[in-house]
Amino acid sequence: MSRKILALLLAVLLALCLSGACAESTSVTVTDMYGREITLSQPAERIVALTPSDCEILCALGGESLLVGRGAYCDYPETIAAVPVVQSGAETNIEEILALEPQVVLMSDMSQTMEQVGMLEQNGVQVVISDANDIEGVYTAIRMIGALTGRDAQAETLVADMQATFDAIAAKSQASGRTVYFEVSPLQYGLWTAGSNTFMDELAALCGLTNAFADVDGWSAVSEEQVLARDPDYIVTIAMYFGEGPTPVEEIMGRTGWDGLKAVANGHILNADSNAISRPGPRLKDAAIELFDFISAAEAEQAE
Amino acid sequence: MKTDRFPPGMYILMTAALIAAMLLCVCVGSVSIPLSDTVSVIWRALRGLEAPAGMGRNIIFNVRLPRVLNVALMGAALSLCGAAMQGLLRNPLADGSTLGVSSGASLGAVLALAFGVQLPGTVYGGVMAMAMLFAFLSLLLILSLAYALDRSLSTNSIILIGVIFSMFASSLITLIISFAGDQVRSITFWTMGSLSGTGYAHARILALVLLVCGGVLLRCARELNAFAIGEDNARCIGVNVRRVKLVILVTVSVLIGVCVSVGGTIGFVGLVMPHMARMVAGPNHRKLLPASMFSGAAFLLLADLAARTLLRPIELPIGVVTSMVGAVAFVAVFYHARKVG
Repeated sequence: MSRKILALLLAVLLALCLSGACAESTSVTVTDMYGREITLSQPAERIVALTPSDCEILCALGGESLLVGRGAYCDYPETIAAVPVVQSGAETNIEEILALEPQVVLMSDMSQTMEQVGMLEQNGVQVVISDANDIEGVYTAIRMIGALTGRDAQAETLVADMQATFDAIAAKSQASGRTVYFEVSPLQYGLWTAGSNTFMDELAALCGLTNAFADVDGWSAVSEEQVLARDPDYIVTIAMYFGEGPTPVEEIMGRTGWDGLKAVANGHILNADSNAISRPGPRLKDAAIELFDFISAAEAEQAE
Repeated sequence: MKTDRFPPGMYILMTAALIAAMLLCVCVGSVSIPLSDTVSVIWRALRGLEAPAGMGRNIIFNVRLPRVLNVALMGAALSLCGAAMQGLLRNPLADGSTLGVSSGASLGAVLALAFGVQLPGTVYGGVMAMAMLFAFLSLLLILSLAYALDRSLSTNSIILIGVIFSMFASSLITLIISFAGDQVRSITFWTMGSLSGTGYAHARILALVLLVCGGVLLRCARELNAFAIGEDNARCIGVNVRRVKLVILVTVSVLIGVCVSVGGTIGFVGLVMPHMARMVAGPNHRKLLPASMFSGAAFLLLADLAARTLLRPIELPIGVVTSMVGAVAFVAVFYHARKVG
């Protein structure tokens, strides 16, 4: 009798052990932002990130050590400089990626194609696609990459941190009715602005501003006279400065016919960090803070 | 005896048409300014009075007027180049863009940007000089290649080599862009063509160059007429063929180089407009060259107007409009010429 009980006990114990072992080697299932389900037997350990924003998210979640390759434009944080670089976008080289033996390739839908996804999957590499078009989308991407790497808690912390920052900025700002013109490409090369449905537009709204080109969808080339006619209160340029000639702000201040603009007359021009404000990643928080600090300083100056 | 001069009546008519086009382009734009305001601003400025300050004045004087001037000058210059090259090479398809001269000029400009070539004391000097130099070198290269292949410089071989050279230059530009790193964006401009942000300073340079080069080319009109019948014929009636050829090629390179460094590559103007002008003014270069300048200026003005206003507040690249209109017009001209010929 006691042997039977002992056997039963052992069996129960074994089952418990087994289930425990199973629980330890949990498989990971992630639904990417194209609604595709990706299952891994364990959190990803070898990742190639082709898109800068995905790379930044992965590193912000503490997954830098998982990175075995990075796309040509992934340049942040600087500590990833030693990670091998692979071609991305239209020049994506599948062989180059396969040579790094990744389990997962992270890419965004903007610059990559479904053909590339197909080729990677044929070669046994899982592909996770991000597609963030607004701040909410960035949160989704962060949670997705968190789940992929078994860093759900870190993802929640990062999202909460970003959300708290944005909420605080929104709470401190009030709709002032002032307008902001985002300059994506300077006059010399034809003006481009960021209209509605862009991260810049979203950040402007957080700071209580109205986008001067809210009627334009996405990034678009606009006429110079439209900018003059709309006479924005603020100008935010994301032009990069290469250390020679006038800075982007000086260049705007010096344009003929622009001296009458409110933003130029008051010197309310910000040269924002182009990568932080245009990449759908964690640094949108920094971009929001930069914009908010600039606006509140300018508002304080005007209130005097 | 029929005079081969351009009849003064024609000059007056064309000048009037050009001025009308310019006025239209100043009055109509992305932002709607009431016509009465525009007229009063211009009228007061013409009489030397202080125009009423305000947005309208600002837009008209600082955005539209310089742009209209640049567009008109560039259209005239490109079309003149096309007419001169078509005459010189006896080739109806010759033009800066089909012969690869524009691509060569772009390559020069891109090289100047990528390696920071600068002429002391100037802002655009380095880019302009390199664009001119490369325009001339590529023209020389294309013509000597074509000559080696086919001494009659026939239509087909010259266009083929021009197209191949264009592709070669474009791939070199792409190569430079992929090595240039951060300044990539500023460089891609040279391959697109844009006249936004061009000011009076550009217009002054263009006007000066057009005045000098236009004068030189117009003085060559007689020789161009002789070339039209054949190089041997030209030699027989006492034209210094080598010298005239060289003068025309250098002049055309300078014009195209300056145009490319101001506004990037704008295709089809130089190709199509001389044909249009030929329909009106006939094949005599004394009439054809000025007529090409006027029609080129008017065409580019209208194309730019479309680029500025069709999708306002969005602005289209001017090259899109000229290529679209130009391609259709080109096919029409080609068909017509074949039928007649």
